[in-house]
This record gives sequence, structure tokens and C-alpha cells, in this order.
Amino acid sequence: MPVDLKRINGPENTVSYKLYTPSKTFKEELKCLFKSNNKRQDGRNSLEHRKMFIKTGIVSQAKGSAYLELGNTKVIVSVFDPREIPNKTDYSQKGVLYCEFKYATFSCPQRRNFQQDSEEKQNSIILKQSLEPAVCLHEFPNFQVDIYALILENDGSSLSAAVTCACVALAHASVPMYDLVTAVTMGVVDNQILMDPTLKEQQLCEVFDETDTKSDHGIIVTSFMSTHQQISQFYQTGNINLENISKSISISTDASGDIKLLIEKCIVNHVLKGANKSNEE
Amino acid sequence: MALCEAEKTFILHSVEENFRIDGRQRGDYRPMELETNIVAPSFGSARLRLANTDVLVSVKLEIDSPTLEQPKLGKIEFFVDCSANATPDFEGRGGDNLATEISNCLSSAYKSSTAFDAGKLCILKGSKCWKLYVDILLLECGGNLYDAVSLAVKAALWDTRIPLVKSVVVDGNKVDMEVSDELFDCERLDVTGAPIMVTVCKIGDQCIVDPTTAEEHCSGGSVVVAVSKSNFSTILQTGGGSLHPMTLLESLKLGQTVAQRLDSTLINTLKQINDNSTDVGFLK
Amino acid sequence: MSNKIHIGIASDRVNPSVALNQRVPKIYTPGEVITEQNELMRGHGTYEEDGCLKSSVAGLKEEVNKLISIKPLKSRYNGEIGDVVVGRITEVQQRRWKVETNSRLDSVLLLSSVNLPGGELRRRSAEDEHMMRKYLQEGDLISAEVQNVFTDGSLSLHTRSLKYGKLSQGVLIKVFPALIKRSKTRFHNLSVGASVILGNNGFIWICPTVNTEEESVGGFIQNLEYIVPIEEREIIARIRNCILALAQSKMMLFDTSILFAFEESKKYAVAELLLPEAMVDVALLTQQRLTLLENQ
Repeated sequence: MPVDLKRINGPENTVSYKLYTPSKTFKEELKCLFKSNNKRQDGRNSLEHRKMFIKTGIVSQAKGSAYLELGNTKVIVSVFDPREIPNKTDYSQKGVLYCEFKYATFSCPQRRNFQQDSEEKQNSIILKQSLEPAVCLHEFPNFQVDIYALILENDGSSLSAAVTCACVALAHASVPMYDLVTAVTMGVVDNQILMDPTLKEQQLCEVFDETDTKSDHGIIVTSFMSTHQQISQFYQTGNINLENISKSISISTDASGDIKLLIEKCIVNHVLKGANKSNEE
Repeated sequence: MALCEAEKTFILHSVEENFRIDGRQRGDYRPMELETNIVAPSFGSARLRLANTDVLVSVKLEIDSPTLEQPKLGKIEFFVDCSANATPDFEGRGGDNLATEISNCLSSAYKSSTAFDAGKLCILKGSKCWKLYVDILLLECGGNLYDAVSLAVKAALWDTRIPLVKSVVVDGNKVDMEVSDELFDCERLDVTGAPIMVTVCKIGDQCIVDPTTAEEHCSGGSVVVAVSKSNFSTILQTGGGSLHPMTLLESLKLGQTVAQRLDSTLINTLKQINDNSTDVGFLK
Repeated sequence: MSNKIHIGIASDRVNPSVALNQRVPKIYTPGEVITEQNELMRGHGTYEEDGCLKSSVAGLKEEVNKLISIKPLKSRYNGEIGDVVVGRITEVQQRRWKVETNSRLDSVLLLSSVNLPGGELRRRSAEDEHMMRKYLQEGDLISAEVQNVFTDGSLSLHTRSLKYGKLSQGVLIKVFPALIKRSKTRFHNLSVGASVILGNNGFIWICPTVNTEEESVGGFIQNLEYIVPIEEREIIARIRNCILALAQSKMMLFDTSILFAFEESKKYAVAELLLPEAMVDVALLTQQRLTLLENQ
């Protein structure tokens, strides 16, 4: 990767001190996943979503923006006015979405680079594909809408938080859409399905102990348009059998419906507030 | 290439009737052609031709040190090169997006240790491991890239021979090792679990595999499914468009059965290839 | 399940050539001296240097009286007046359509050279200009005749006959233009139950048999509701695969060769015709029948 000379990069070859603290084995970590009363470390059931907080209009200069908190995961998404597609010669009938997904350098336990790494690039593509089917692209031919998602703090499920937040930001920017997109992350580890995993849980789902090859593990991110009952993006990684996947699909589509009610309320509130303000003037 | 409405209708009906424009059924593949051990300087290589799609994969080995987070694992990295030989669209940075998408999908599919055991590539825990560079070159693009690439990668990994490490000497902080230089002193990789990717394409209300370019134009959305043995190692929706949950499940089922068939066919073919078969390469 | 997946091994590859110990004509390469006589005329694919006539492309020599030209083996389509072509609309412009016909430059179809619905001879009004996209839009396929060849080599087409016009449901395949045998008729209603248009430009259109009376509307109608029955679909798919097999073995395409290939292919299922071995087999058998026919 080329080094950006204009920025002061951190010293090379440094590692987190965490590597030198006594670490638990995979089995021990797995045991810590649930407390004695069958609840997760933060007191949730396995299929319970974390509490969510959404606010619109965070970035005053953007056309639309939204801020979302999911437990400790914090995301800001801003949407900018449509502009002509840069570096394009031929006319395109449909508009284009440009998405950028970025972790803030300090958002993860390990410091991130300023430049997008491959995980962030992959997430940008997923974010774009999640939103594309929902946006009425034919209404702004030859134009591009820029969507920037910044993760301020990553405590798991950051991609699905970014998708939901981007949808609210698009609505706030009054970009025409067919439906609201909401996303849910599911983690699978040791044949257990966990909804909305925290970073700790997510890492357990991703890293896998080779001593036990039978059980499933992995991450599933589902973006769902609940009015039209359409899945706009489905991303899975790890090693999961069909049964667990189909279970996860139905669980996450239901959960998406619940989240949708929440963000609908947020958008309605925002519009009402705007209406009151203009009445006062 | 654009298609007119009548052509699209013809394709749509043909998929519904389960008799596609070239006579295949919905779950059928076009015939493929495979050759392994085609690039001399690499440790393993394969070339796969599926209709007009032509993929060349080569595997290079180098010694690296494992990451501190996972000291027991070797490394595998995928690089996709969309050569402008394939189509002029790839000229300059034109193919970059496609290349990132394919390589990300591959690394995600090979990440799970049940799909590909990177622990075997470790030489000495925490200090020395093999790193596999899997270079994928798209020579020609005729649609259905994911499937062709994953088959070629699996064949190239099958063909890969890792030199035997004779001895490892640890002297304080210095690690010294001796690797065999003999031609036949090597071991093969275990790739039985290596994932096979299948692109399931939704046309009308039906799902098909191995779409031709014309069929890709009629598709309302597709899913790339990477299947390792019988489990899914990666699923990714591509090509815009959205799917109903039921359709998604159906396409996953179709993708799973087809991938398993494809996998067993590939393994059978690979077993048939014997070492002293004549080289074909790009001639003939 | 019937659907087997076929992965062949490269060393078992079959040779698609069906030239049965036939004499291979002399092939000239660029820069090669064709003749040193000066009294001959310089045609396409040749140039003069040092008093010699040299070839500028790789191909076969063609001699017409004193005109010498080299015809390249593989080239884009060189249009001639009167040729029937199949093309795809790429752009709608002022009073003209741009048509992709596998030619070096895009061909044009003028609004004045099409039959508009409602009368063969009438003035083209401004309204017609606005309606152009209604008649033909980007992506549509047409059959047309070459009306004129401009000096730069681009073609002007016309569809002023009832047999030309917009194409409806069917399959398009592309082959080298050189493989299409020149003949008077380009529209073939094959007795096996499908119609084939062998465009001189190498575009071949296969569709269900059409009744000529029904189609006399001027050719801007596409019937999208009509579902082609499975039997006809099978015939169309078989013809498609046969033509591809013949084209792969570089055999000339005309109604008899297609019919022969169709008959010889009967022992294979349609999908099996995608296998390289089956393709060569069909091509070989067709070649044999054609030589028998010639010798009679």
C-alpha cells in the first residue's frame, strides 16, 4: 500500500499491548459468552437487539445526515447533493450512488489507517448495494449521490448500523426512495445464533478454533426493505449450514421490521419539528 | 450490449419453460475445459475455460512471518488482475472495482478454517509461515466470472506443491531453516474443503446457474454462493436488484446442490489429470 | 438428476478442423510480394512498393481480370449495395437511427428510408420525428437492406420492403461475415419449423416460422404476449447450436448446410451440442454429406 506522505503516520510495526496480556483460549472465551442465567454479558437474550438511538441533521452542511447509536457502536452518515458523475463521458439513464465506509482511526481496539483498507472497501460495496434497490435512481439520471459513513466507535454490527443510518440520512436529504432499508447483523458461533453481536461476540464468530470442526460459525448481514418484503443485500461469511441461514433470514427480516418502525418515527419527528419551526416563523 | 424487449421476453419464457436458449436446463453448466500445471515458474497453476470466459490462476509461495494475532496460521492472499486483453473496458483502472469485488469475495470464502486450513501453512509458530500468493488473471470475459475463478483457484491450489522444510533451527532470536530443493520432495495442499462459488441468477420467477451474457442482462438480481463441502462460507448479493426472502432461500438451495455437483466433478477431473499428460497451453 | 456437469481436460481437446485432406490455398501475409508485374490493378488489402504489389493483410488472393485484392480471413463486414443485414439500433438521432452492423463504422437508417405505419408513401412530418423512439429504440434488432455505401465505408440502410423491419422474439448469433455464403435469398423458412435470416454481416437471426401475410404491417410490431411453444423452442435452440458448431469448424453457412447439420445432430440432445466433441462430430458429418451432394 502506498504511504500517504502528507499525513503523519503512526510509527510502523507497532502492536497493541493487548497481545501481551494473558489471553484466554477459545473454549474459555466461549464459556464467557453467556452468563449463568443464559443472558449475554450485557444482559440481553440471544435474539435481542441492542437499544438504538437515531438523530437526524447532525452535519449542518450536508444535504442530509444522521447519527446512530447501537449500544456503544456510533455511526455518522452524511449525504450530499446529487452532482454530475465525475469522469464519465457517456450518458447514463440511471443515477449512481457513491458510498464510502470508513472506520475512524481510533474507533477500533487497534488503530486504523487513514486510507481505506480492503475490509472498508468491501463494506463500501455492500453499503452501496444495500441502498441501491431502494433509491429511485431513475429520477436523477447522470447524477451521483455521495454517501459517507463514518464509524466513530466500533462495538460490533457496525456495517448494519451504517446501512440503517445511511437510509435515515437519505430520507433526511429527501432523496426519493421506494422503501426504507434496515439492516441487522447476526452472529453464529457454536451453533448459537446471536442477534446484533458486540465486537467481542463478533470476533468470536469470525475467529474459529480448529479443534472443533463440526459447529457453525460466521456473520450474516441482512439488509431488508420490509414494506416490499425484499432483501436488498445479503452478506455472509464464515461457515454456516443452510438451516441456520434460513433461520437467520426469518429472524433478521422480523427484526428489520421492528427497526423500521423506529426509524419511521424518527423521520416523522424530524418533519414535524421542521413544520413547527416554519409555523413559528 | 443492449437487448431489445422481444429478445428479453424470449429468454424469460425460455427460462420459465426450463429450456434455455441453448437447450440447457436451469441447473446446467456449459462445458468447461481445464488444464493444470501450465505456468512453469509457479508452484501450482491452472487455466479454466468456460464458454468465452478464460481464467488463468497461478500460485506463488513465499516465507513470511505470521501475524501477531494469529501466530499459528499461514497466509493466503488473492489478487485479481482484469487484463485489458479481456475487454477494452478494463483499460486503465476500469476493472479495479470488479477485481476488488472478486478478490474480497475469495478471501472471505477462504477465511474460515473449515474451508481452508491455514494452520497447515505454519512452519514455526509465531515466526515463520508460508504465504500463498494466488494471482488470478482474467484473459477473457464471457460472463459468470465468479464460478470460473473459484474453480480455477481450487484447481491451482490442488496443483500446488509446497517444498518440504527439512529442519528449523532456533538460536536465540534467530530462526534458520533448510528447505528441500529436490523436485519431488514436496507435499500437496489439502483442498477438499476449498469453496466453490456459484452465481445464481434470478430471471423472472426462476433461478438459473451459469448465465450467458444475454441471460445476465435479463436478470433481476443474483447471488454469489460459496459452498465448502456442504456449508456456506460466503454469500453475497450482486448486480443490483433485491430478492424476496423466499427467493433468496430457493437460490441458496439451488446454489448449494449445484456447487456440490460442481465440486465432485472438478475433483474427478483433477484426479484424471496425470503428471505426464502432454502440455497444451495456448497452442493448438 | 440429468444435468451433468462437464469439465474436460485440455490435453483431450478435439481439433475443430474438418478440412478433409483438402488442398489448402496459398495464404498471403502482410508485406509478402504478390506479384512483380505492374500492369495489374491494386485492390483492397494490397499496396505497391518498389514496383511490386504486396499484401497488407493476411488472407487469400482474389483475382478479377486485372484487379488483385487480398481478402482477409477474419474481418469486419464490408458492406455492398443490396446486401441483407441484421443490425441493432445503438442510438436515435435527428431523423436517423444509428445501427450496429458489425461494419467498421456504424451504419445509418434514415427516417425517410423506412416504411411508416399507415401508408407506404407519405411525407415524413415533424410528428414522425418525435415519434422515432416509438418505432425503433436503442437495443432493437432490425433486418434491412444496404441502400448505399458512403465513401468512408459506412452504410446507409433501408427497410422499404415488407420483409424487412423490426425483429420480434428469437435468438441472435454472431459469426464471421466471411462464413455466410452469398446467395439470392437471405430469408429461409426451414422445413423443420423455424425461420432463419442469414445476414451478410455475420449476424444470424433465428425465430419461429412467421406467416408472411400476418407480417405485412410494416414491421414495427413486436408480440411480447406470445409464448413460443416448447417444440419450436427446441428447434430454434438446435439450429442455434448447429450453426455455432459449423462456425467453429469454419464451414460455410447456407440453408442446405444448416439443414444437414440439423438432421445429423438429431442423435444428440440439444444441450449436448455444446460439447466440443459433439460439435466437431456434427460438423464432420455435415461436411461429408455436402461433398456427397457436390459429387452427384
